[in-house]
Amino acid sequence: MMSSAGIVKRSAPVLACIGLLAVWQVASLALKNDSFPTAIEAIRAIPDILGDKEALVNILASLRRMAIGFGVAVLVSIPLGLLMGRSAAVAAFFNPLLMVIYPVPKAALMPIIMLWLGVGDITKSLVIFLGVSLPVIYHSFEGAKAVEEKMLWSGAAMGLSPAQRLVRIVLPAALPEILTGCRTGLVLALITMITSEMIARQSGAGNILFNALDMGQYDTVFAMIIIVGAMGIGLDAIFERVRARLVRWSEPQFDLPLSFS
Amino acid sequence: MKVVPSRSSEWVKPVTRQEPAPAIIEIDHVSQVFQTSARRAHVALSDISLTIEERAFVSILGPSGCGKSTLLYIVGGFVSPTSGAAKMKGNAITGPGPDRGPVFQEFALFPWKTVLGNVMYGPRQQGVRATDAEAQSRTLIEMVGLKGYENFYPKELSGGMKQRVALARTLAYHPEVLLMDEPFGALDAYTRTRLQNDLLNIWERDRKTVLFVTHSVDEAVFLSDKVVMMSKSPGRIRQVIDIDLPRPRRRSELLLDPRYQKYVVDIERMFDESDEAGSLA
Ligand SMILES: Nc1ncnc2c1ncn2[C@@H]1O[C@H](COP(=O)(O)OP(=O)(O)OP(=O)(O)O)[C@@H](O)[C@H]1O
Ligand SMILES: [Mg+2]
Repeated sequence: MMSSAGIVKRSAPVLACIGLLAVWQVASLALKNDSFPTAIEAIRAIPDILGDKEALVNILASLRRMAIGFGVAVLVSIPLGLLMGRSAAVAAFFNPLLMVIYPVPKAALMPIIMLWLGVGDITKSLVIFLGVSLPVIYHSFEGAKAVEEKMLWSGAAMGLSPAQRLVRIVLPAALPEILTGCRTGLVLALITMITSEMIARQSGAGNILFNALDMGQYDTVFAMIIIVGAMGIGLDAIFERVRARLVRWSEPQFDLPLSFS
Repeated sequence: MKVVPSRSSEWVKPVTRQEPAPAIIEIDHVSQVFQTSARRAHVALSDISLTIEERAFVSILGPSGCGKSTLLYIVGGFVSPTSGAAKMKGNAITGPGPDRGPVFQEFALFPWKTVLGNVMYGPRQQGVRATDAEAQSRTLIEMVGLKGYENFYPKELSGGMKQRVALARTLAYHPEVLLMDEPFGALDAYTRTRLQNDLLNIWERDRKTVLFVTHSVDEAVFLSDKVVMMSKSPGRIRQVIDIDLPRPRRRSELLLDPRYQKYVVDIERMFDESDEAGSLA
């Protein structure tokens, strides 16, 4: 059973998408510009792209690089951020380094990395890794720093060693914050993925998009924008579901299920 | 009223004296200085010596900021004193351990664990089998009056319920000494009274050593065998008072007992005599 408020909440994103497409359609018809196809034209081009084997392989290759870059970044950044949050020495060591890397657009490092590592998967995954790492490190750091000291003391009194406390108290306690960082990181992974493929055109979703642009196939360009956008929305939605499940214990409750007797 | 110095002379009248319980915790000339800035140092505790006997219920009573929590943290091994030493059963305390179980005023429950998960945490850590740990924990949860709440998360509990979980979580790993820091300080009068009664029942059942920090004179007298009165700036022990009231104690009887009333009035008067009047809740 879904309440009427629930139905409104569920359908809101769909309505927003339809509204956006409608505005697009009207604007495109009004402007009558070759480089601005209508929403319907763009949507019509989507099956052509997804039906094309080569395009599909390209998109999957993009996703694979993104998964590798994101996955490795998360695996490295969470422990590093947690350690920095709990140890002043570790924080003092890595802080200057991160402060230097932080404001640099990661894609701007691509030419150098390409020079060293070529234009292949490693380079692109590495750029994605760099893009994802910082927000995840930052949020893990903040999360670890905020862990209540008495909680760690309680653990110590139960006999947990410092390493056990990091894994079994700091990590779960900081998890909501860590996952907030990962969510930002996921979107950044997508952005860096496309950017890296724009710089090192060879394969991938970004490659299809920019090649189409060069060739003036504007409906393909806009179709790719829709596809990439949908990928972002889809990944974020999946991640959000996982996140909500993992940190149910920390979310404020809207409808208290306190109906016990 | 017997007013004894912190170190009573052991040699007087050994014939009529009851065999004194062995000391479990010895605090020996402990001082704690906090360096608040480059130039300023704050003496939180000054030359504290105190012996706590096995299975005694000892309250530490004093105005805010006199170093009660700091003293408790030192016994817990969470903080090491600037000078002096604390000992547990003759061994120097160098860190926390499961023989001393803290119950913090802030509860410090693990929010990602349910009530049952919190209470089971200690026994599991000690290597108790999951099924045994769960059975013991369920019994404890029932004992602190939270049956039916086993699968609730801390955020779904009231302050008083959290306090009960915190107590059960610490009792679950059977520490020899309970270190309780104003555990009932943040509760309303009604819940406070109920938890005092519960704690007393639990304690009278399996007499652990308890070191109990409080602001409340009534609470200290009601619960304790011994009340340690502290004064502020720097934190010192003013006096240690034995509370000679029969056990088991019943609140309804005790409140009418002139001996209880005299203890309360006398202790309040002693605090009033100093400039610390009013700073005690
Ligand atoms: N980590 C610290 N750094 C600096 N000063 C501290 C620190 N911890 C405690 N103090 C100081 O030591 C004194 C004693 O603190 P403590 O928390 O032990 O007092 P308390 O008796 O428990 O007070 P309350 O009843 O309000 O809890 C206070 O003046 C406090 O400001
Ligand atoms: Mg305190």
